[in-house]
Amino acid sequence: MASTTTTAAPAVEHGHGDGHAHHPRFQHHFVSMEQQFDSAKLGMWLFLITEILLFSGMFVAYTVYRVWHPEVFEVASEALNPFLGGLNTVVLLASSLTVALSIHFVQKDQIQKMNWMLLLTVLCAAIFMVVKYFEYTAKFEHGLYAGEAFHPHAGYEQFNIPYARQFFSIYFVMTGIHGVHVLIGMGMFTWLYTRGLRGHFSSEWYTPVELSGLYWHIVDLIWIFLFPLMYLI
Amino acid sequence: MATVMHTDAPAEAAAHHHPEHHHPEHHYLNHEKTIWSWLSTVDHKRIGIMYAISVAIFFLIAGVLALLVRMELLGPGETIMGPDAYNQVFTLHAVMMVFLFIIPAVPGFLGNFALPIQIGAKDVAFPRLNLASWYIFMAGAALAVIAIGVGQVDTGWTFYTPYSSDGSNSVFFVTLAVFVAGFASIFTGINFIVTIHKMRAPGMTWNRLPLFVWALYATSIVQVLATPVIGITMVLLFLEKFLGIGIFDPALGGDPILFQHFFWFYSHPAVYIMILPAFGIISELVTVFSRQNIQGYTFIALSSVAIAFLGFLVWGHHMFVSGQSAVSSIIFSLITYLIGIPTGIKVLNWVSTMYKGSVWLQTPMLYALSFLFLFTIGGLTGVMVGVLAVDVHLHDTYFIVAHFHYVMMGGTVIALLGGFHYWWPKITGKMYNETLGKIAAILIFIGFNITFFTQFVLGSRGMPRRYYDYLPEFTALHQISTVGSWILALGLFMVLFYMIHSMFRGKKAPANPWGAATLEWTHCTSPPDPHNFHHTPIVTHGPYDYHALEHLYEGDGVGDGATVEAAPGQKH
Amino acid sequence: MAHDAHAHADGDHGHHIIPMPVLLKTFGGLIFLTILTVLTATQLDLGAFNVPLALAIACGKATLVIMFFMGLKYDNRVNTLTLVLGILFVLIFISFTLFDTAFRGDIGNVDTIPQEDRTRMEETLQQRDPGRAGLATSPADSLALEQNPLEETPAPAEEPAPETTEPEAAH
Repeated sequence: MASTTTTAAPAVEHGHGDGHAHHPRFQHHFVSMEQQFDSAKLGMWLFLITEILLFSGMFVAYTVYRVWHPEVFEVASEALNPFLGGLNTVVLLASSLTVALSIHFVQKDQIQKMNWMLLLTVLCAAIFMVVKYFEYTAKFEHGLYAGEAFHPHAGYEQFNIPYARQFFSIYFVMTGIHGVHVLIGMGMFTWLYTRGLRGHFSSEWYTPVELSGLYWHIVDLIWIFLFPLMYLI
Repeated sequence: MATVMHTDAPAEAAAHHHPEHHHPEHHYLNHEKTIWSWLSTVDHKRIGIMYAISVAIFFLIAGVLALLVRMELLGPGETIMGPDAYNQVFTLHAVMMVFLFIIPAVPGFLGNFALPIQIGAKDVAFPRLNLASWYIFMAGAALAVIAIGVGQVDTGWTFYTPYSSDGSNSVFFVTLAVFVAGFASIFTGINFIVTIHKMRAPGMTWNRLPLFVWALYATSIVQVLATPVIGITMVLLFLEKFLGIGIFDPALGGDPILFQHFFWFYSHPAVYIMILPAFGIISELVTVFSRQNIQGYTFIALSSVAIAFLGFLVWGHHMFVSGQSAVSSIIFSLITYLIGIPTGIKVLNWVSTMYKGSVWLQTPMLYALSFLFLFTIGGLTGVMVGVLAVDVHLHDTYFIVAHFHYVMMGGTVIALLGGFHYWWPKITGKMYNETLGKIAAILIFIGFNITFFTQFVLGSRGMPRRYYDYLPEFTALHQISTVGSWILALGLFMVLFYMIHSMFRGKKAPANPWGAATLEWTHCTSPPDPHNFHHTPIVTHGPYDYHALEHLYEGDGVGDGATVEAAPGQKH
Repeated sequence: MAHDAHAHADGDHGHHIIPMPVLLKTFGGLIFLTILTVLTATQLDLGAFNVPLALAIACGKATLVIMFFMGLKYDNRVNTLTLVLGILFVLIFISFTLFDTAFRGDIGNVDTIPQEDRTRMEETLQQRDPGRAGLATSPADSLALEQNPLEETPAPAEEPAPETTEPEAAH
């Protein structure tokens, strides 16, 4: 039987001895800042896969109806503007870059640069939403709605075919829920920006930036798949 | 004392000067007393108790609804309610039992209470998220109550389209309630997975985790992966109802069977959210009350994970007669048989754990034995209805009703009751009345079998489910079943009353009344300190290593301030 | 408390700073792939292969984002495991639903005549007109032949579909 030794507990001693333990953000049910950060990150990854599975339901609906009516989907997707879709793709990719850079800068304690990157991210998200707004209104003008209001007219009569409604329903639901995620992201990054201005973050502690960044990249990832599926093929 | 070492936890020691030296009665229940201190608590033990109280209320309401259902079926024709009322009563019974009771009960209550202590942590990884999950759960429950107030919810708990998309608007509130309560489930799952990965005490390796923790780990994986899908399903259902998006509604070119795929992609794994934690409880009970190390630890642990995985591949067996393709029916049926393997491994290991052990028939063990009996029936009839040809005959009959009650009630609820009695002394610091406990356990076992075994017979003779009326030839069996439900209710109410009595008048519980070897018994007072442990434990032996435990009883410090009598079951 | 055995497998404490050039190159790669996917989808007609190609490019972009922007390349393996698990279950969801929807209706062609009757009818037919028995491929043809042996049978060999699905549906 083991006797009471102290050699068996280096991890614990390390946890309390590394100086991070007294950071104001340290929560006492953890042993170290390291453990706290890793836990938060794993929690965020788990949340991200719930996001992926949330969208998976809509991807399943898309796949099923596409397999059933491929020709309808090909015709209906011509109603979408690939230029605007491509523009939004580039905008979102750019915002992903700025988010990644904001984390890069906060890790190097370059807080002012981090703030600029956060602000740029909000700006990109806003551009995305504005483009989305113009896309949506252009569809609505021609009676391309989700659901029973679907009634193509004014030059869009060619979309008045069976199962085109399913395509537009899926399009609006998927991009709509994606848009809600973009709006939430805008809110998050605005909040992070104000906190950054107040000097809340440093290389010692920047968990919210890291986690919001992960969230934002997932929003980007969803769009990476939505863009070709909806606009291109 | 040889097996356990203490390390200093400076942060904690600075704040609390080993309170037991000053106030021997200082523990998590009384260190703060206001209502607000409960509503704003981030202590996993208190959140567990808040879950316990709320799910107990829902169990009570849904249980009374079940009694009304059985009462209506006492004779053919209208007995106490008409067909519309009957549809609503069984729907509410099912929705509340499934979404507001069984799914949150074991993880929310026993999991929250025991998991962090069992792995030697001060709390779950995200205590505030844990509290938020309770509030979200209650918000979901409130929406369900609104739905009852608003009017007819009579779709059954499965909300199949087009009935749900065409029917009454109050379906909206129930589906919203399911959507909201789903988030509570996701947050609990995330919290547990991170806690198990990151918060284990030194020496608490993966193969020293108590099996209850392993079971909760598997459960949490299912919660995280499956629950978002019910979320999006409910969203699509609202949109179908209010916009007519035409995904599920056949009148608009949609496919109602697709809804069933969406629904069961969540709801079949949800069956494992219900039963896996129960497996964990039974693993604890069987080994503790047999005074023998668990047989096949690795097999039991990994079979939970295997069940969690396979549970995602079989949802189509709910849809054999829905009109899905024969190819998928065959695939789903084959994989359904596979689930029998890990489940069988568990049952065999539990039984062989008892073999040559010194079985101590306390109330929790009686529930464990009930579980082995009832769950085996529930599980084997599950394999039966997984057979395509048999299912076509038995689908939507009382055979199915009996099968899933044997699994959900005979499995999960019985295990929950066992775990409830087992951890009761730790939770409240009081012993319950053992004699009454045994009587209630036996009443519940008898009442349950009278209620539901007759339903196997009813179903195999062709009695369809969800009907308020029936042919006269079924009368005798329905009456037996209804009488059984009264016996079952009597047993459950007994539990309620002697437990409340014990809370106020019960004998004070020792730290380790069962002689168990997991940390919540060996290193914690009853009830535990607000921070669980005065010192972070260092684990040097497995969770069921009773030989190592014997050294504890000779030494001085069995945990902190824990007064341990010789464990009654220890005499070999 | 436990630092996971694998928590610091990479030895960089989860705070690896991803260098600026890596981030910029990743962004460049993403833009390149975006242009590529637009060009291949609009200018190149590969028929059935347009969809897999677009999806493959999207997967490539997703991998870039995950590895470098999200830093999974430098992160704890348990996070990678989490993501892989999530993607695996999405694939299960899609593929198992397709097992149904892609084969929907394969149970529709159930033979309404018991197998013994069919055998008997075929035998009768064989006795009456051995030369034409092979043409009777469906129960309906067989019945028609049995009832009106002298009439022309309606082109039976053109519709062999019910025959082929029968064994599956019947067993």
